[in-house]
Amino acid sequence: MTTILTPNPDAGIAQTPVRRCGFGPAWLLPTAGVGVLVAAVTLPWLINAYLISLATTALVMAVLAMSAQLLAGLPGLAPLGQAAYLVVGAYTAASVATLTGLGPVQLLAAAAAGAVAAAVTGVLAVRARGTTFLMVTFGLGELVHAAANQWAPGGSEGIHTPPVVALPGLPAMVRPGWVYLYVLACTLLIGAAVAVVVRTRFAWLLRGIAAHEPRVQAAGQHTGRLLLAAYTIAGGIAGAAGALAIADTRYVSPADAAMGVSALALAAALIGSGSMAGACAGAVLLVAARDWVGGLLGGHGPTLLGLAFLLLAYLPRHRLAGLTTRFPRRRR
Amino acid sequence: MTGALLRLVTVSRSYGARRAVNEVSVELPPGARHAIIGPNGAGKSTLLHLVAGTLRPTSGRIHYAGHDISGWPAHRRARAGIARTWQHPALARPLTAVQNVLLAVPGQRLAALRPQRRAVTAAHAALAQVGLAKLAERPAGQLAYGDQRRLEIAVALAAAPRLLLLDEPSAGLAAEEITRLTELIRALPDDMTVLLVDHNLDFVAAVATTVTVLHHGQHIATGTPAEIRDHPDVRRVYLGTDALTSPAPNSPATPAAVAGTPVLRVRTLSAGYTGAPVLTDITLDVRAGRVAAVVGRNGAGKTTLINTIAGLHPAGPGTDILLHGQPLTGCDTRRRARAGLGMVPQGRRLFAGLTVDEHLTLPRPHPTRSRSVDARQVLDLFPVLAERRQHRPHQLSGGEQQMLALARALLAAPDVLLLDEPAEGLAPAVVGQLAAIITGLAAEGTAILLAEQNLALACQVAHDIAVLDRARIVRHVATADIREYPTDLHDLLTVPTTAPTPS
Repeated sequence: MTTILTPNPDAGIAQTPVRRCGFGPAWLLPTAGVGVLVAAVTLPWLINAYLISLATTALVMAVLAMSAQLLAGLPGLAPLGQAAYLVVGAYTAASVATLTGLGPVQLLAAAAAGAVAAAVTGVLAVRARGTTFLMVTFGLGELVHAAANQWAPGGSEGIHTPPVVALPGLPAMVRPGWVYLYVLACTLLIGAAVAVVVRTRFAWLLRGIAAHEPRVQAAGQHTGRLLLAAYTIAGGIAGAAGALAIADTRYVSPADAAMGVSALALAAALIGSGSMAGACAGAVLLVAARDWVGGLLGGHGPTLLGLAFLLLAYLPRHRLAGLTTRFPRRRR
Repeated sequence: MTGALLRLVTVSRSYGARRAVNEVSVELPPGARHAIIGPNGAGKSTLLHLVAGTLRPTSGRIHYAGHDISGWPAHRRARAGIARTWQHPALARPLTAVQNVLLAVPGQRLAALRPQRRAVTAAHAALAQVGLAKLAERPAGQLAYGDQRRLEIAVALAAAPRLLLLDEPSAGLAAEEITRLTELIRALPDDMTVLLVDHNLDFVAAVATTVTVLHHGQHIATGTPAEIRDHPDVRRVYLGTDALTSPAPNSPATPAAVAGTPVLRVRTLSAGYTGAPVLTDITLDVRAGRVAAVVGRNGAGKTTLINTIAGLHPAGPGTDILLHGQPLTGCDTRRRARAGLGMVPQGRRLFAGLTVDEHLTLPRPHPTRSRSVDARQVLDLFPVLAERRQHRPHQLSGGEQQMLALARALLAAPDVLLLDEPAEGLAPAVVGQLAAIITGLAAEGTAILLAEQNLALACQVAHDIAVLDRARIVRHVATADIREYPTDLHDLLTVPTTAPTPS
């Protein structure tokens, strides 16, 4: 720790590109972003209905992965129960759907319900750190899973919901292509909101907690409250993912709160190693491995997923806990 | 309110049965420059934690600016104007220096997307105050150690505190860096109260107007630095004429029983970090029964040298490391340890969850090794540890931790022992004990390579000294020659020899 990187600190300044991140020339990242966006929008005209519905599922998981990344990537606390808030959001959206088919209303209600659930349960979770945090969130997830089995409408069978209307006056969306585009639009909106959150001073303080929590306390911050706020926002995002999930499948069951869903979101966040875009890419990769490539290999999706998780440990990536600071670095 | 800004009234703090701080009362008027000194394990850091709110007192009261803050959490005390630094840099390493400071500037909105102009100005002012203005955009993790220490202080200053707590600010700094630190603390505004804990007595005398001495958690004396130096009790506890300290058989620099055949040979060693060379063309021999010391400034590459020999850092091309004539260069750390290379890393690196006893049951000499060492033999060398067998590292003082790290390395019966800055952060009396132990080990035939910044210790124990400067060894000298021309080496190194050697 006490070794200097270069024998003469002043000589290093000129060589070290402090603000440059990643690899390749400067235009590569924006160009790649535009390319991905164009490909995502034109996707319904390029591939068949089955693959489109898989892509929609991948988007829902991408939103859940952002929720997990808000905790794993910023304050360095890995959550293993984010699917619980997804299910809270999904059931809320399903009950709102009996009143109105309007998708944005369902989305807002689901996000609010997810945030409230996270705020209540988060009081327990943010007392813990490290592995204990992982186990507490896992326990909370399992409790929600069990509660949904017991008390939720439809019981363990789950309930079906009517198709969602994107905007007032439009017909209900039945075709997968339209559902996909609706979910894509919502994902981009949520992504934009998250991109704003990770640029705030609040997010900086969360990164500070990952580095050294007493230091942030000595700066006059109540770290428990900061973490609870982060947990609540993450719960809101997961709830929103729940509304998108029922727009996609028109069905919700307690099985959606299974630990496997949370684990997938966390794994996607870890693949993203601190970056939100990385978490989304990780979610798309993992869903593709589980549902698409696994389907081609004759139902070996879970095997492939397990191998992908194992591969995680050997990927040449920085440690989590906010060691890659892609978002703050881009700003001037 | 008139009178004291900070008043500790019979404050105590216990860890289990051990009283780290025992009924200490201290009073600081506004603008005071107060230092707390004492041998290792005196409870200095604990006292600082009690004031900062990281720890709560077991009994007693802490009054600050007219409030009883004993029950306040750390963040509330920080908002009331108490800022602190840590003994080891506790920075957000991926964030830049200025971002680290900005985290601590108060009065900013949480939802702010950009730091306010006022906050940025304050952050840059704090960086300029410690002389880091040029490095503001560098990630904290890439700063040199001395710069990280100064960044720590900038972070504390950014909050414009009324009370500044500094935990061992001079630890691990070279002489000219300590001079800059002294100027920095002297230049602080007069209304800012400073409470600091340190080992370096010259530094303390230069910055503090009043000094409190602690020993085993007890208050010994308070007074001006001059009064403290002359205080008989202080001399007794601090400068090592304490009855408790019974050094191991002391035979400084006696010719070893074993003939000085080179056990470890290092030839044309090089190493670097991501392309930047830190060591080039290092050649040295470590002989059985002799102590070789490598001295040099902070960042000269001492730790890198030790780590490269131990296999913890990759060696550059052309490097040859031979142990008993067998090449080690291609081997991993485990094989090197098996071949007889023992290491005591800088910062001790103890296992946080294990007791002293458990530490000492872990290492075993590999069955292929001829010598074997018993835990009891090792404990005989370190009588302090024998009394603390059920304690965990955090309950031990710095000196005891260093002894434990040394004991752990000895249990593997190494032929060559690599010691990385064993005297860092230790009180002079403990350094004296350590010197006796190192000399004793060499007399029994172990070859010892010591990387040290404390020239006094190096001169006391080493037979040969290699001076490391700017990535290479600039001079090999026999210790006897150095003793004839001590100033010569000081000029070459400007290494502090502030730690007085016990007479």
